Amino acid sequence: MARYLGGRVVQLIVIIFFISVVAFLLVHLLPGDPTYSILGPNDTPAARAELLRQLGLNKSVPAQYWTWISNVFHGNLGISFLTHQTVANAISVAFPIDLELIILSQLLAFLVAIPMALVAAMHPNRLFDRIATTSTYAMLAVPTFVIAVLLVLVVAVKIHIFPATGYNPLSMGLWSNLKTVLLPSISLAVGSVAIYYRLLRADMIATLQEDFITMARAKGLSTRYILLRHALRPSSFALLAGAGLSIGSLFTGAFVVEILFQLPGIGFQLIQAIDSRDYLVVQGMALVAAVAYVVINFGVDIMFTFLDPRIRRG
Amino acid sequence: MSTATPRDGGSLIVGVSSEIDGFLPSQSHFDNTGYIYANSVFDTLTAVAADGSIRPLLASSVVPNVDMTQWTVTLRPNITFHDGSPLNATVVVENMHAIITSALTAQAVAFLSGVKASGDMSVVFTCNEPIVAFPAYLATQVAYIIALSQLEKQDAQVPVGTGPFSYVDWEPNDHFTVAKNPHYWRPGLPHLDQVTYRPIISDESRESSLRSNTIDLMVSHDPGIIRDLQNNSSYQQVTDLHQTIGQPDMDFIILNVESDPLSDLTVRQALAYATNPLEITKLFGDDVLVPNTSLFPPGSIYRATDNGYPSYDLAKAKRLVAQAAPAHGGSLKLSLVDIPDPRQALIIQALQSMWQDAGFTVSLNQIQQVTYIDNLVEGQFQAAADEQFGAPDPDLNYVWLSPTTANPPIALNFARNKDPKIETALQQGRTHSDPSARIEAYQTVDKLLSQDLPYLWISRAPWSITGTDTVMNFANPILPDGTKAQGFSGGVFTPVPIWLKA
Repeated sequence: MARYLGGRVVQLIVIIFFISVVAFLLVHLLPGDPTYSILGPNDTPAARAELLRQLGLNKSVPAQYWTWISNVFHGNLGISFLTHQTVANAISVAFPIDLELIILSQLLAFLVAIPMALVAAMHPNRLFDRIATTSTYAMLAVPTFVIAVLLVLVVAVKIHIFPATGYNPLSMGLWSNLKTVLLPSISLAVGSVAIYYRLLRADMIATLQEDFITMARAKGLSTRYILLRHALRPSSFALLAGAGLSIGSLFTGAFVVEILFQLPGIGFQLIQAIDSRDYLVVQGMALVAAVAYVVINFGVDIMFTFLDPRIRRG
Repeated sequence: MSTATPRDGGSLIVGVSSEIDGFLPSQSHFDNTGYIYANSVFDTLTAVAADGSIRPLLASSVVPNVDMTQWTVTLRPNITFHDGSPLNATVVVENMHAIITSALTAQAVAFLSGVKASGDMSVVFTCNEPIVAFPAYLATQVAYIIALSQLEKQDAQVPVGTGPFSYVDWEPNDHFTVAKNPHYWRPGLPHLDQVTYRPIISDESRESSLRSNTIDLMVSHDPGIIRDLQNNSSYQQVTDLHQTIGQPDMDFIILNVESDPLSDLTVRQALAYATNPLEITKLFGDDVLVPNTSLFPPGSIYRATDNGYPSYDLAKAKRLVAQAAPAHGGSLKLSLVDIPDPRQALIIQALQSMWQDAGFTVSLNQIQQVTYIDNLVEGQFQAAADEQFGAPDPDLNYVWLSPTTANPPIALNFARNKDPKIETALQQGRTHSDPSARIEAYQTVDKLLSQDLPYLWISRAPWSITGTDTVMNFANPILPDGTKAQGFSGGVFTPVPIWLKA
């Protein structure tokens, strides 16, 4: 187990190293003088000198990388040339929004998908199962941005239940916060509901054919008890694997949702920074998003090794 | 707008169309959102009245010497900044030194040769030539006066001004919140307790936010949205499409007259004859836009009765293309550049089609705004769709039109048109105090631009401000002397007079 974990940690470190190199080289890939590309033509020599100093561009490339990565480890990702805010501060504001969106959307997805799958698996090919299966096909087919626009039109513009845009942090109160993140979370959750429903339904139907379930039924246990205590857990591996894998794609899905709902998360800030050529913010946000992606996937992998001993043995 | 008695209190949420890069007038790039934010926390030395005249604001008087090369600005007494420090001549001088030495703003006030305090509350501005429109400059970005505490720290994030509201919080790309300044120097103002500005870049998202009551007031630049909200009785709307004060923003195509084949006047004439502004406004103006073929709008005193600008004539355009092509290798090729915007994309596609009908080969290119501006400044373009020229007085556009600013490395005269007759006319407008001489000067500029054709005019640039029925007085500001100020214009308003119905 320790050997397996050690190997995975080494892999993780190597991947993060390569990510950091690519993020570092972003500034070096700019054509010509990076200070010119970053500041534009009408800035002062003093500003250019300050940027050169900040980027360490007068040193060799490995030395520049070392300076940069040391700064990153000290939480110093530079200063936005657009807003004069530290990049670390911008990320500390943006990242929790993505995290909240992903957690809330996954909670919503599980809340809807698991009961649907349980009921459908209990009575396969009956009316509810057919309706649920057809609906999830539709959910998979509709892109997130279409769902988001529809939700805004119906729930925000027509019946004024939730705001169409904006974000209220948790410090403004739970309900105030939820009002601004529910529609974006639902937009993100719809695709996950479809996937989770289909994964769990298929596994549950297989599990319910197993001998130990027949035994449980013979013992006179209630259907609800059998479903929740005996069938759900062994049927959940594919569901958890699906959830782990989809968290990565939810990051990119969240980008679209953040733009449509004007939520100042990593995706929204990244697009604004790219638009305004605020390269240090792009560099910092890209680094954080990529590292978060691989760390989350690493966490999911490790979780599986605890849940399923076959993985660590294999 | 409303004649009812204003009610104090309440919070307003405003959807604005962009985010700014800071609150330092000498360093930050103020677009219309920049001006809206600045109007909330700062004051300028002067302000534009509804009749176009310039009136004192932080200044109590602005008085020239005989030849208008020196202007003495006397400040109102007993005005304090949000940090409690007093407004005096030293603060104004320090602010102006920052403006004069900044790479961003120096060219706009290049005529200034000195700024000195001549007493505790008076400042003398010395110009290297007569500047009759000098008070108008004091109503722009260069004359927002900030506290020494902000200036010394060069703090672009926390504004400290004398304005009606003081800084509470700025989270770039999310919100900028200000609270009522209880010590504001104008008695009884402002009425609101708090204003939160939310940059919502997409016009459609801003409209949805207004319709869902997420915001109370919004600025828009999109003709389709202006029309939709105009026709909805639930909202109140003001547009700037009928204002003729100074110069409104225009939508047009800039031609780089130093690039081949556009350095050839016959080629530019062919493009002008091939461009049909009426068709473009019909197709994309949503019944809001009307074509305009002048530097000035209809109704402006500076607009020539007939400026001689070429009217759409495809046959003539084809003849000119045939005439010019042999000198340019047999075919006329050019690229037209614009920022990535769905509506603009349609407009430049229509232009491409019109120009190709005349015999041009046209490629389209959309680039990010920041790169786009750099390319204009550096001359790395042939034709570019642009919007420009909004100013309280035509002299403020001197830097964009003068041959003296058409040289590398930083050419603010993007078209690089170096007609000496334009410089002569611009100088006449700049230095003659006789209004009729100024009118004649700018009418001459308009006519010369129609001959040189560095710009292909399309229409006025539309701006609107739309509020829910509880937001009162959002386009009817009053100046300290009791006269009406210029209301909403160029996407800019001031939150000072706004109040909310119970």
